[in-house]
Amino acid sequence: MTPLQHYLALSVALFAIGAWGVMARRSIIVVVMSLELMLNAANIALVAFSNYSPGTPGRGEVFVFFVLAVAAAEVAIGLAIGIAMYRLRERLDVDELDELKG
Amino acid sequence: MTDYSTPLFYIVAAVVLIPAVLMVTFRNLIYSAAAMILCFIGVAMVFVTLNAELLAISQVLIYVGAISILIMFAIMLTRQRSGEIRLFFHRQAWLALPAALALAVTMAVVLSRASFSTTPGPRNPGTSDLSNLLFDQYAFPFELVSLVLLVAIVGAILLARRERRR
Repeated sequence: MTPLQHYLALSVALFAIGAWGVMARRSIIVVVMSLELMLNAANIALVAFSNYSPGTPGRGEVFVFFVLAVAAAEVAIGLAIGIAMYRLRERLDVDELDELKG
Repeated sequence: MTDYSTPLFYIVAAVVLIPAVLMVTFRNLIYSAAAMILCFIGVAMVFVTLNAELLAISQVLIYVGAISILIMFAIMLTRQRSGEIRLFFHRQAWLALPAALALAVTMAVVLSRASFSTTPGPRNPGTSDLSNLLFDQYAFPFELVSLVLLVAIVGAILLARRERRR
């Protein structure tokens, strides 16, 4: 059996790559994609804990189902915001959205 | 019988992490989306190695099937009309990499100090046990999630709809 720590390390690495994408990229679509990467990292950790820790089996998996549904909703809303932004500005650059700057 | 699970895990982890890095670094949005699809397939493979077959299938259906197609459509609907796309990285993007590395180190330190049971406990249950759990004990959250999805659909249509000229 692969130790639990291996899966947690994979989850940490994937989460950090997703955070890097969110911080570094300008395109709103790539930012949404990086957010999905971070959610996937959390899912890996949940399933790994569900497989390795004692207690009621399968709780972590049920959690992941709910995360999947919320992730789908989040992608739909995020991309709709991106398309609305493109209609207004003809750009996808998140730096453009600075009206709230004092 | 030799235990191949650990070398298999390293292969699967490479299928997850290499496309993830490529996704962030590719300049072409379509290439980025393709790398993201590969990464999602890798995550489904991770689920298989964790005895969560139903989740692996759901992952392929929802992420590789639905979400990727949605993102592809969004990329194609928002093609820049004039010239080529010039948006890759922020001016302060060089700060993002150390920040992400610091985040990873922090999480790794916290995880290495935390005490949780790492003994192989009860395995992830099979599909029938999982559906019993989902539709019996977690039936109410399940219904609530359908409401969340409905609100998301209405909100997405409202946001992406073309404005009517008055």
